[in-house]
Amino acid sequence: MRPYVVTDGRSQPTRNTLDLVTLVIAADDLPLTGLSPEKRDLMELCGPGALSVAEVAGHLSLPVSVTKVLIADLMDSGHVVTRAPVPSARPSETRILQEVLDGLRARL
Amino acid sequence: MKEQIPEAVFWSVAVGLLAVTVLLVRQRGITARLRRRNAELAEDVLTREEEVRHLIAVRLPALEDHGLRHPVPGVGPRDARLAGSGFAKSLDHVLERFATAVERAQARADQSAKAALKSSMRSIQALANEQQVAISDMQDRHDRPDVLRDLLEIDHTNAQFGRRAQAIAVLCGSWPGRQRSTSALIEVVRGATSRVRDYRRVQIHGQADIAVESRSVEPVVLTIAELLDNAARHSQPNTKVEVNVQSVHNGACVIIDDAGVGMDGQATERATGLLSGQHAVDVTRLDDPPQFGFAVIGVLAARYGFSVSTDTRSPYGGVRAVVFLPSALLRHRDPAEEPPPVTAPPARAAVPGPASDGSPSEGARAAGAPAAAAPASASPADPASEGPGPAGTPTTTGGLPRRRRRDRARTASDAPPATSTTTTSATATATEPARTGAADPASGRGFDLGSGFGSAARPHDGGGARSAEETARRIAAFARGTLHGRADRNGVQNPSGTPHEDEGNIQG
Repeated sequence: MRPYVVTDGRSQPTRNTLDLVTLVIAADDLPLTGLSPEKRDLMELCGPGALSVAEVAGHLSLPVSVTKVLIADLMDSGHVVTRAPVPSARPSETRILQEVLDGLRARL
Repeated sequence: MKEQIPEAVFWSVAVGLLAVTVLLVRQRGITARLRRRNAELAEDVLTREEEVRHLIAVRLPALEDHGLRHPVPGVGPRDARLAGSGFAKSLDHVLERFATAVERAQARADQSAKAALKSSMRSIQALANEQQVAISDMQDRHDRPDVLRDLLEIDHTNAQFGRRAQAIAVLCGSWPGRQRSTSALIEVVRGATSRVRDYRRVQIHGQADIAVESRSVEPVVLTIAELLDNAARHSQPNTKVEVNVQSVHNGACVIIDDAGVGMDGQATERATGLLSGQHAVDVTRLDDPPQFGFAVIGVLAARYGFSVSTDTRSPYGGVRAVVFLPSALLRHRDPAEEPPPVTAPPARAAVPGPASDGSPSEGARAAGAPAAAAPASASPADPASEGPGPAGTPTTTGGLPRRRRRDRARTASDAPPATSTTTTSATATATEPARTGAADPASGRGFDLGSGFGSAARPHDGGGARSAEETARRIAAFARGTLHGRADRNGVQNPSGTPHEDEGNIQG
């Protein structure tokens, strides 16, 4: 399926808050009536949990920019909500790392 | 003596006069006969001249147009008097020679035109495909909306360009080109819309759980694209082109209605002739500018065994084109056979979400999993499917509830309240794969074993939505396992069981 059919010719997402790592979460109880097959696929993908925009694009085999248009549409209709990415874990303390290293060395 | 001279003169003069008179009379008769003969001959020559002129002006062109095998009524010898004469026979002979020469020349011209067109169109088609790959790469690489907008336009133009080249190549005896995997009919229609100029005006309705066999995907796409192009081209830019996909007893139909100008009787007749694909199409005689559409469809229809008709009027006043695809070209969508184009992790694939109607990929795959114990056929209505209608029930574009194949899981999931995800899934994760795998080989396939493992890795943050359903499925698997265990212990063979009833018992 060519991307222009998927987005109905649009290239500009209705909002520009989306990033590659923005998490997409499907809203629960909205009917999927009238959604295009790609949007349904997207809803289904995001159904079990949050997925990043990049992952959604990968699974749908669509360009990221096209996926953003779809996600922005679904945000407008309330089918999905997005969230800033989970911040990466704080680096562990040096002491713990040192202990791990020591432990490994002791074993090997 | 003197008197005798005048008498002699008189008599001689009289005899002379008589002789002259007789001669004159005879001469006159001869002259008249000659004149008549002359006139007759002149008329004869005139007739033949006329006949030859008629031959050149009428009969030969008619022959040139229709060939000797399809004589045109009313175009025969002009004068009936010549019938049977040597002259007429010679003329017939000339006609025959001429016809043979014309046929040979036409065949040669057609062949060389086709060969030239075919090879050039094939190379253009290859270039268009190459360009499409390049455009797709660029679409993947560039993230800016304005770049994407331009790329989409180029992509669209390229698709139309490829279609034209493909159509001409097909008409010239080439194969449609790409081999595609078996795809849902709706996807095929959508694919066709992507190749016409006014794709935004096309509205697709209908949900048929029917897939087109891989061999015939590309021809059907091309056929529908040509019909859509005709429909969009011959109607006002502000009107819609409606496409309805229906399954019928012997196959499936794609009905294309436009609100355009329609076709008059002659055009319909011509279209019917071309669409039947019975007569070989001469590429050198396709009007100016050439009208390839119907001719291409005719070739494809004859080659692949579907039929197209355009002889009905659409309710909107334009043309209604109906593509009938016989069952031989179709396949019921069998989720087990389909490759997973959406490469989702097994956990996601196994958790049923609302079915994605058009795509053969994710929705069908997920939906097929619980239903695999039942014969995996798409069409028969599940009696339970019309029952529960929670907010999440997928509906058709017309607003009616869709048939669903995983209603066992669904009804089961609707019964219990949404229990906590974490604990249940944790226990189920440990127990379920072993039980289903060992105890229920017949229906265990339906339960994607990956679902248990996958759920452990699943992020729990936003995923409360599916927990009830998932929980129900796990409990169902557990129930089936215990049922099997009991059956084995009691020596009762009940391999398939009725899982959902037991689910109810366990849960209740």
